[in-house]
Amino acid sequence: MSASPPPELTTADYPLSINRPELLHTPSGKPITALTMDAVVSGELSAEDLRIAPETLQLQAQLADASNRPQLAANFRRAAEMTAIPDDEVLAMYNALRPRASTAAQLAELAARLEGTYGAPVCAALVREAAEVYARRDLLARPVADSDQ
Amino acid sequence: MTTAPRPTTAAPRQSLRTEILEARPVNLDGFVEEWPEKGLVAMESEFDPAPSVRVEGGQIVELDGRSRDDFDFMDTFIANHAIDVESAERCTAMPSAQIARMLIDPGVSRDEVLAVSRGLTPAKVLDVVKLMNVVEIMQGMQKMRARRTPANQGHSTSARDNPIQVAADAAEGALRGFAELETTLGVLRYAPMVAIALQVGAQVGRGGVLTQCALEEATELELGMRGITAYAETISIYGTESVFIDGDDTPWSKSFLAAAYASRGIKMRFTSGTGSEVQMGNAEGKSMLYLEIRCILMAKGAGVQGLQNGSISCIGVPGAVPGGLRAVAAENLVASMVDLECASGNDQSFSHSAMRRTARAMPQMLPGTDFVCSGYSSVPNADNMFAGSNFDTEDFDDWNTIQRDFQVDGGLRHVREDEILAARNKAARALQAVFAHLELPPITEDEIEAATYANSSNDYPLRDVLADLKGAQSVMDRGITGLDLVKGLESAGFHDVAENLLTVLRQRVSGDLLQTSAVLTGDFTPLSAINDPNDYAGPGTGYRLQGERWEQLKKLRHVTSSTNPETEVG
Repeated sequence: MSASPPPELTTADYPLSINRPELLHTPSGKPITALTMDAVVSGELSAEDLRIAPETLQLQAQLADASNRPQLAANFRRAAEMTAIPDDEVLAMYNALRPRASTAAQLAELAARLEGTYGAPVCAALVREAAEVYARRDLLARPVADSDQ
Repeated sequence: MTTAPRPTTAAPRQSLRTEILEARPVNLDGFVEEWPEKGLVAMESEFDPAPSVRVEGGQIVELDGRSRDDFDFMDTFIANHAIDVESAERCTAMPSAQIARMLIDPGVSRDEVLAVSRGLTPAKVLDVVKLMNVVEIMQGMQKMRARRTPANQGHSTSARDNPIQVAADAAEGALRGFAELETTLGVLRYAPMVAIALQVGAQVGRGGVLTQCALEEATELELGMRGITAYAETISIYGTESVFIDGDDTPWSKSFLAAAYASRGIKMRFTSGTGSEVQMGNAEGKSMLYLEIRCILMAKGAGVQGLQNGSISCIGVPGAVPGGLRAVAAENLVASMVDLECASGNDQSFSHSAMRRTARAMPQMLPGTDFVCSGYSSVPNADNMFAGSNFDTEDFDDWNTIQRDFQVDGGLRHVREDEILAARNKAARALQAVFAHLELPPITEDEIEAATYANSSNDYPLRDVLADLKGAQSVMDRGITGLDLVKGLESAGFHDVAENLLTVLRQRVSGDLLQTSAVLTGDFTPLSAINDPNDYAGPGTGYRLQGERWEQLKKLRHVTSSTNPETEVG
């Protein structure tokens, strides 16, 4: 995470790849301008370098807000948090949110893990809201007495 | 079965005209009476709720006649996430006729409509669009489409899952103008090879075309994460709680998935459509359009940028009831009027009648949508693994002619034969190089020759399917990514194709394609509702087919020269 505060963007900054490339970095810290064919051929780039950074998703969230799309902005903020979560675990978390896949305790644990391990409070809030609705609509898994899950 | 003798009654004599009408293709289509109690009704049902909304303490506590205690999860999600609480009571109290007029009034801007639509309940939205006839729906769509410039999406699949065919047809489709190309499989295990073929072929045809492989959620996401595909759209949502649960999802699981895609820089839209709930057996006695409006608002609430709707694979259901295609046009309008990208159907064969197939597309093609077809079959329908589209390769020249006749931009263009053959040949060669680089089963010169001139999968030498499936598995096992495809292309001298693909991959680092209605232009400019907002404000404004693009669309296979009637131009 950069120490300087993120810049205030307006819709005129879009597309960032053309108008504000200096703001764009890979999660490994390379500027987007470093993603060249020479770097591919010389083996300097890995697939990890072609991922989006959480800071970039926050910038896109600003643009979504600036264009009056608060829900889209909220999605990008959840996404920014999720960049820290490994692929397999993202999928496991998604599966845990399916109907009757998790008990109330498991969803509470998932929310706590999102918040504690991954610093993902916005995602955690979504999971807690789901847990409350699932309880009311009979969509929780029934706890198994001797389960160690 | 019975052996009892049947009473013999002479069949009443039919007129010769009736015999001709009986033989018309339209009479092979299925039509049924409405059955509102079961939800078999397009958009006019006395069982749909009346609009209402009540806000207390910053929270919606009543929605369309239900109080919060009685909300199902769709109500809850829509109340919590989709509807603007601050303006909900004021907007929902506005006369529906006034809102409907705003939708068609060129003096009212798109933004002014959005300021109202974001505060509307599902039943209120239904009440508004119920007032509109199909021409008014089209007028509304012309203004409310999010991106100013319309586009089109193609299907590139193969009945044999033949990757060489998919690459060649993707190249041709990209050249003809599709901004997005989608594939899927007969044999799912073929997916990695076919998705690679689609990506390589698309980047040969026109750099910047976005590709997708429709699969179950986990594999689709994985191919996206690896950069083998560029976007996703088969993320289905449903308008009743019971059917949503049958689909093994909830609005919260799908919202989580939406953020997961964005977290990997991958463009994504949801999919829904009229008729899915009644087809899946639980419409809870509501009209198809009311349930679809719930889906649209759920998508809005999830923060996904767009939606594929327009009945999609359920088109036979609204297509069979009175006013069904009006409802389908209305659902596209609703997606656009709540500011979602709309990939507007026309992607499933539903009628034997060529006239009816064409008519079905007019409410999207004439006003323009973000993607007029969310899958025009850019392969012959026999090769279309989405069970056939409303249009296929045989219709290319008709489509181009209709664009020219009406001066409308349906996203495609006529391309000269020599250019098409060159692109198909190059796509097959580029894929040959990538397969060699990745040590996948080789592509022969015979296959390249076939790909250059083929129409369908029948025109290609048969592949060694077992070897291919092993290869496909090894793509997954070895963790092959889009970057490996770039390396393979570059090392074999396909420098331009490699650059095209690298540029597409680089886009995910910028996140620009995550914004509403984003596509990549031929010069790799992200074009979305932010930098290409629909500014329609009446005659002479908004997107106009003119200039260089109009000159392109004037060209057809056969156009007689005005200066020398003995020759053709083009």
